[in-house]
Amino acid sequence: MKLKEIDRTAMQAWSPAQNHPIYLATGTSAQQLDATFSTSASLEIFELDLSDPSLDMKSCATFSSSHRYHKLIWGPHKMDSKGDVSGVLIAGGENGNIILYDPSKIIAGDKEVVIAQNDKHTGPVRALDVNIFQTNLVASGANESEIYIWDLNNFATPMTPGAKTQPPEDISCIAWNRQVQHILASANPSGRATVWDLRKNEPIIKVSDHSNRMHCSGLAWHPDVATQMVLASEDDRLPVIQMWDLRFASSPLRVLENHARGILAIAWSMADPELLLSCGKDAKILCSNPNTGEVLYELPTNTQWCFDIQWCPRNPAVLSAASFDGRISVYSIMGGSIDGLRQKQVDKLSSSFGNLDPFGTGQPLPPLQIPQQTAQHRIVLPLKKPPKWVRRPVGASFSFGGKLVTFVNVRTQPQQGAEQQLQQHHVCISQVVTEEEFLSRSDQLQQVVQSQGFVSYCQKKIDASQTEFEKNVWSFLKVNFEDDSRGKYLELLGYRKEDLGKKIALALNKVDGPDVGIKEEKQESEFLPSAGGTFNISISGDIDGLITQALLTGNFESAVDLCLHDNRMADAIILAIAGGQELLARTQKKYFAKSQSKITRLITAVVMKNWKEIVESCDLKNWREALAAVLTYAKPDEFSALCDLLGTRLESEGDSLLQTQACLCYICAGNVEKLVACWTKAQDGSNPLSLQDLIEKVVILRKAVQLTQAMDTNTVGVLLAEKMSQYASLLAAQGSIAAALAFLPDSTNQPNIVQLRDRLCRAQGDPAPGQQESPKVPYERQQLPKGRPGPVAGHTQMPRVPAQQYYPHVRIAPTVTTWSNKTPTALPSHPPAASPSDTQGENPPPPGFIMHGNVNPNVAAAQLPTSPGHTHTQVPPYPQPQPSQPAQQYSFGTGGSAAYRPQQPVAPSASNAYPNTPYISSASSYSGQSQLYTAQHQASPPTSSPTASFPPPPPSGASFQHGGPGAPPSSSAYALPPGATGTLPAAGELPASQRTGSQNGWNDPPALNRVPKKKKMPENFTPPVPITSPIMNPLGDPQSQMLQQQPSAPGPLSSQASFPQPHLPGGQPFHGIQQPLSQPGMPPSFSKPNIEGAPGAPIGNTMQHVQSLPTEKITKKPIPDEHLILKTTFEDLIQRCLSSATDPQTKRKLDDASKRLEFLYDKLREQTLSPTIINGLHNIARSIETRNYSEGLTIHTHIVSTSNFSETSAFMPVLKVVLTQANKLGV
Amino acid sequence: MVSVINTVDTSHEDMIHDAQMDYYGTRLATCSSDRSVKIFDVRNGGQILIADLRGHEGPVWQVAWAHPMYGNVLASCSYDRKVIIWKEENGTWEKTHEHTGHDSSVNSVCWAPHDYGLILACGSSDGAISLLTYTGLGQWEVKKINNAHTIGCNAVSWAPAVVPGSLIDQPSGQKPNYIKKFASGGCDNLIKLWKEEEDGQWKEEQKLEAHSDWVRDVAWAPSIGLPTSTIASCSQDGRVFIWTCDDASGNAWSPKLLHKFNDVVWHVSWSITANILAVSGGDNKVTLWKESVDGQWVCISDVNKGQGSVSTSVTEGQQNEQ
Repeated sequence: MKLKEIDRTAMQAWSPAQNHPIYLATGTSAQQLDATFSTSASLEIFELDLSDPSLDMKSCATFSSSHRYHKLIWGPHKMDSKGDVSGVLIAGGENGNIILYDPSKIIAGDKEVVIAQNDKHTGPVRALDVNIFQTNLVASGANESEIYIWDLNNFATPMTPGAKTQPPEDISCIAWNRQVQHILASANPSGRATVWDLRKNEPIIKVSDHSNRMHCSGLAWHPDVATQMVLASEDDRLPVIQMWDLRFASSPLRVLENHARGILAIAWSMADPELLLSCGKDAKILCSNPNTGEVLYELPTNTQWCFDIQWCPRNPAVLSAASFDGRISVYSIMGGSIDGLRQKQVDKLSSSFGNLDPFGTGQPLPPLQIPQQTAQHRIVLPLKKPPKWVRRPVGASFSFGGKLVTFVNVRTQPQQGAEQQLQQHHVCISQVVTEEEFLSRSDQLQQVVQSQGFVSYCQKKIDASQTEFEKNVWSFLKVNFEDDSRGKYLELLGYRKEDLGKKIALALNKVDGPDVGIKEEKQESEFLPSAGGTFNISISGDIDGLITQALLTGNFESAVDLCLHDNRMADAIILAIAGGQELLARTQKKYFAKSQSKITRLITAVVMKNWKEIVESCDLKNWREALAAVLTYAKPDEFSALCDLLGTRLESEGDSLLQTQACLCYICAGNVEKLVACWTKAQDGSNPLSLQDLIEKVVILRKAVQLTQAMDTNTVGVLLAEKMSQYASLLAAQGSIAAALAFLPDSTNQPNIVQLRDRLCRAQGDPAPGQQESPKVPYERQQLPKGRPGPVAGHTQMPRVPAQQYYPHVRIAPTVTTWSNKTPTALPSHPPAASPSDTQGENPPPPGFIMHGNVNPNVAAAQLPTSPGHTHTQVPPYPQPQPSQPAQQYSFGTGGSAAYRPQQPVAPSASNAYPNTPYISSASSYSGQSQLYTAQHQASPPTSSPTASFPPPPPSGASFQHGGPGAPPSSSAYALPPGATGTLPAAGELPASQRTGSQNGWNDPPALNRVPKKKKMPENFTPPVPITSPIMNPLGDPQSQMLQQQPSAPGPLSSQASFPQPHLPGGQPFHGIQQPLSQPGMPPSFSKPNIEGAPGAPIGNTMQHVQSLPTEKITKKPIPDEHLILKTTFEDLIQRCLSSATDPQTKRKLDDASKRLEFLYDKLREQTLSPTIINGLHNIARSIETRNYSEGLTIHTHIVSTSNFSETSAFMPVLKVVLTQANKLGV
Repeated sequence: MVSVINTVDTSHEDMIHDAQMDYYGTRLATCSSDRSVKIFDVRNGGQILIADLRGHEGPVWQVAWAHPMYGNVLASCSYDRKVIIWKEENGTWEKTHEHTGHDSSVNSVCWAPHDYGLILACGSSDGAISLLTYTGLGQWEVKKINNAHTIGCNAVSWAPAVVPGSLIDQPSGQKPNYIKKFASGGCDNLIKLWKEEEDGQWKEEQKLEAHSDWVRDVAWAPSIGLPTSTIASCSQDGRVFIWTCDDASGNAWSPKLLHKFNDVVWHVSWSITANILAVSGGDNKVTLWKESVDGQWVCISDVNKGQGSVSTSVTEGQQNEQ
């Protein structure tokens, strides 16, 4: 394909290969006169610009020369490494002169462009060549057999290669060998070629076919084979190219007879030795393979002869040909259409007419439809064989999983053996690992997750932390796995109880020290009279008297007002306490309105429970203090929301330093998603190690949240999912496909994650999920494949994610879980309620439907033992605040009495985030009830509705209200309109009062559930009411129950658990949870559902479980109380196993075991097991508690061997599976 | 760092020109000057020849796997001016389409991101780039960019599917408004970026000039969620450039020299996570490069001769050269 054209009759020389851009120099040819018969001459330089599609060559410079040229070459000598144009143009003139030009000067337009000139030769210099090894050496040939070797560094005195050949002849061609630098060949028109050895300074061989018809017009050495060369003949009688090998110089090795008339020029490609160009008087330009003689290509030319032809050294596909019709054409041998040619004609036309508007009509000419000329549109085929330079010899491509596919094609030398040949065609697949630290850390993390050694892991991280912040973060994370987490958090914030105690003591001593004696004396003196004898009741008209009168009439309110007026604050408060809650509250308010001290706002907040105020309006510099306050006081249900709020403020309002501190708040809140968001903002996430940093924290925090809140870790938020999948991708990229699969969140239906999972599975060689369907599935379907229970069951944690689009999952998941777990137990007492539950259990409703599914309050209430995120449609009206406040003691430090008020919750703020607030019922609160209720069941099986018989709740007795709900949320309690149960707030009202709880149910504070997993109770912790209490004494005196519960209150932070707020849903669950905890020998580790002792506690999250629930179970009796421990222990163990098991197979096994253990529970219910077996089972349970699984297995074996097979076969094997798994997992 | 886990004896009878794994990394496709395309199952370090595809009449330069959502589809291009699309149906591989719209060797084929549908870009020595779009029912629509690169286009590489101005997922159900782009490199020493206009026509958006010789390969880096676009290019001139563009308009590209090799660099390939670049050159050497924290590209490994012998240390001289 023709690329460019220059209208010159000229000799041509390409710039050397090193040169960029590519230039073509032309010098007016001495042999031919052009059409003008002009005798002027010029040296011109053009640039080959292939990005310009036109046929014009860009002219760079023209130098008017006094010479015409027979030969022009462009050598790289003196190449300037920086300059665009360099080297030296060497021209052979008419009169024996050799002229050296500086092309850079020509281009620069200098006048002095001649470097040197020498006219030592006789006659025209027709032959010139540059030695490619020593580019300062130039050979020239002229008449009279003259050959000179010029050293460009010492141009004045040329050398000769040896004695002149005789007889004297013209030298038409000269060429340096391409392999051996001291070998030179020359040829004469007479047909002889002489090879010179410059070291010997003599001709070493003469090559001739003795035909006398060879008129050498061209000579070229083989680019690769040192001993081979070709000679071309100009003679029309012998228009051949002879290929000679000097080792066999008697006759040509091969003769190429492709031209019909004499050959005028040849050029052998340096880029591919199989390409030899030749042009001849037959007006053909051929490209042949001199090694085979085959013509590979015929260039499309006009009918004119070409007298010079040159490969472009730099661009191997480009060649130029000078023809006698006064034109130099630049071609590509790669074929292609010849649209370019037409383009040039059009261009010419338009330039002649200018702007395509030749007549100035203002209107451009319409595009001309040029008739299709077949000749012009002929497709020019490329070379028959691909040139060497397009054959890619090597390649390396990455593929999925950090694999690298490489191949090389080693050039085989003929002498090399067959083995080498074989080697050639191998492809290697390698594993590339670049992030070793990343991998090893990821490995560690996985091990920790498996072994549950979180505390030591966190400690290690703390020790290794480089920055204070990092240390803090890890410390906070570590606390999650320790007892008394809130206390520890406080310590981390710098509030150590002991220290504070000391400080206070110190302060007291200091201040009071000297005064103590006096004070005491004073007090003594003051109190003495009253302590002893009578005292005078003054009813005088002064304030004292008025107060007295008011008091005497029981008018506390006035008395308080009077005191306030008289600024007797202490009196006022004391009186207000006696006057009841409302009065106290009002008095407090007034007091605060009056009081203006620096810490008033804090005190206000503390007393009014207005933590939100603190969090919302504190100076952000005091975020530690605010967090400390929240940690100290916030109720479990609002705790995380408050932490969140603080974190959000820090993030949005704070400076960069504070922004990072928000992470700590989110850790306290257990809000994984926000932690990710915050962290991501602060850190550069592109670096694998920094991603590793994040994932370590997230995984640990998620584990913590999972442990404390019994949430399914499989649920993830959008951002976290993105990070996790990024992480998985990174692992995959390092070849750790299995690890990537382990970390990839498996319960999201985000398409990219589903796709990645599919890709990982297949890369691992596993059948991809959903492979039974077509392979396209994961891509076309954005949904998870059918039959995967994972995602459905796994969204309990979603509530934490404010992202609304997740609501559907959020709702469905807990519900399903609940159904599956609780139906059997919950139903016994409410046969009528069974049917709705059943149907729904079997047909898990779609997300939007769930709400309605729970409309039946009986079922719902009964089934909601623990699921924190449970939703409930039945929300009775919000109850009026109870006038009687249970004086809930939250004794921390000074033990200030903190009365929780039902109307106070912070939660409403949280509720804003949830569109369906009313529907979200208090899962947590229910949990407490129902569990109590179920437990109670054993004592008084059929629903006695104890609520009715409760005495009016005394202030302190209010706590019994949850105990109250411990009364079965039977149809009477729930189905009756509120108030029907008498003075007590109806059980039916509870949900309403628990609305805060419900909202917080979504946002369950870690603390809420953190308690149960505590390994040990704080030392001063008095076990709360044993579970038997409400069961045994369902109608019992609430007071007594309260009393029993009170001791738990003064506990340290964990005592949130014991907030016995009747109205506060958040507080409620603690009873439920803690009571079982108090059972001796309860496994310390967390497994809330089981602890509750609710039969049929959650054991698996699978849908099958739901579906497998047989209807008849509804009528089952409860498990006898004394054997309940078996169920809780086993369930707990399974739960623990489930949370540490990683592979789906084990999980399936465990789920299955959990189901099959129902047989055992059934037998327990029916009390059909023999005492030996029962004893044995209890022994196993005990060994489980001590984590001595091997002992458990021994007992197991003993039971099996000693008992009746038919009696135990239904459950014993399963139990063995569980024990074995537990042993293996080391939970 | 780099360890050979499988050596596949392809039994090709001539030079191998390309070897590509499928989407999952379980199948290997190779092509050769012996005019054949072969597919191997290479799971678990094995090699099972699945197909030996004959149909080309010249050396086969490149193969490209389509995304599996379209089934098992492989495209190959050859010096015979043809592009063949092969498809596995019921376990047998067959030619499903043959594109003969080029006048010269077809040097490169590349499938568009799967989000766009089944679209194949082909670069040819005739200077044109053709785009084949599957329109269903066995029909392929052809668009052609003539004179994309004078004397020839050596490589094409699609930009990852990124919705302009938004890194966040589009609302589901709505078809994202992708802007289709690809890069090409050619014998005019240029890299060109092409963009599909609203009317469906392809327009040259950008010319990237830095190479002083043929651009042998271009590789648009996979998107890793950052707003920066990255392209690697390698050339006959021995240079490898990393081009980056982080402005929203996508027009301000700046080159950074990764290294100047002593020989032709034939091929560049990004790792899936776009952080490692494999460079293969005419000296039969494969090197792996990674950007260090300070933005310098560092050779992290040298995969010698593809035989698996690896030296992780690279001499200073080589690194500092140029």
